[in-house]
Amino acid sequence: MTESEKEFLHQLNEHQKIIHKVCNLYMQFPEDKEDLFQEVTLQAWKAYHKFRGDSKFSTWLYRVALNTAITFFRKDKRTNFIDTVAEIPEKSFSNEKDPVEEQIKAMYMAIGELSKIDKAIIMLYLEDYSYAEISDIIGITANNIAVKMNRIKGKLREATLKKIQTF
Amino acid sequence: MELDELKGQLNQQLLSGFSNKTENKLAELMNGKACSLLCKIKKSILFEITCCIIGIVGALYISLTYQVAQVRIYFAIFGMLFVPLGFVLWYLFRKIVAFENLLLPVKNNLKELIDLLSLFEKRYFQFNMALLPICFFFALALGLQKNASVQEIDKLYIKLKGITSYYWIIIIAYISITMVALVYFTKWYIKKLYGNYINQLKQLLAELKE
Repeated sequence: MTESEKEFLHQLNEHQKIIHKVCNLYMQFPEDKEDLFQEVTLQAWKAYHKFRGDSKFSTWLYRVALNTAITFFRKDKRTNFIDTVAEIPEKSFSNEKDPVEEQIKAMYMAIGELSKIDKAIIMLYLEDYSYAEISDIIGITANNIAVKMNRIKGKLREATLKKIQTF
Repeated sequence: MELDELKGQLNQQLLSGFSNKTENKLAELMNGKACSLLCKIKKSILFEITCCIIGIVGALYISLTYQVAQVRIYFAIFGMLFVPLGFVLWYLFRKIVAFENLLLPVKNNLKELIDLLSLFEKRYFQFNMALLPICFFFALALGLQKNASVQEIDKLYIKLKGITSYYWIIIIAYISITMVALVYFTKWYIKKLYGNYINQLKQLLAELKE
């Protein structure tokens, strides 16, 4: 194993949660998540020689992972995320009706129904990236990101309310 | 509750099902067999370049050795057509390799990918269409060539000639219908291979431009 490979593996090991989150957000089935995880790992390794350390490794990895996830399509018509309550991991929520848990559950499902681009923006927002940083990764202006974020928040508010009513 | 109030919990929720992969497992993934669409196109281009080289050698051999002039010219033209096609394929291959080494923002990445796939789709169609008139022209020329007579076709020719004086109309109609059918078939086939994917990418790009 070369020095570069060792270094890359070490960094990847430290930040593998990022890839896991992206796979969870963009794919529904475990085998698809594994495929995407592998694809992101490969793409990251291919691009690693260009990583100069100008940005944090995590930011760089987000860019690779989101680019890969957005352009990753399955040939079959399987849906890409959670459609029903039953598909949310069982351990995540208890059976008792806790209003906060219901809110989280509903909003999490609503996030899953967003478009691929909106998912990318919301994911970075949840990670506390600034609009300027999100703009760097997505490639549109920070103002546009702010506008999109407002729209996404509106969509999520509406979708969450609808979902809560169905619980 | 608003999104901002649930940020932490939602972020945590995205980690559900997380199991730490060891460095060995990650190393395995690095050398895995996952193949993106671009990687598949790259493999397909390499295969086509190999076919082009074999085609050029084969066509050159036949064009120099075969006794029927039309067949020699036919293969010579085919061989000549393979040369520019080989260069176009090589150019596309280099572009894909260069693109794979870039790490662009999402929007630029989508744009580059769409341009690349559209270019590949366009050249693929153009090459297929360029072959059609050559094939039909030489098929016709060979059909009329005494040395290249095929008994069954000759019989059909005589039969048709006896029945109708519209022989040429039938031939032209046959060629036209087959050509139109082939154009549509090729378009459908290329769309099936790459068109739908390109359209999905275009929709994503349009969303970013909104």
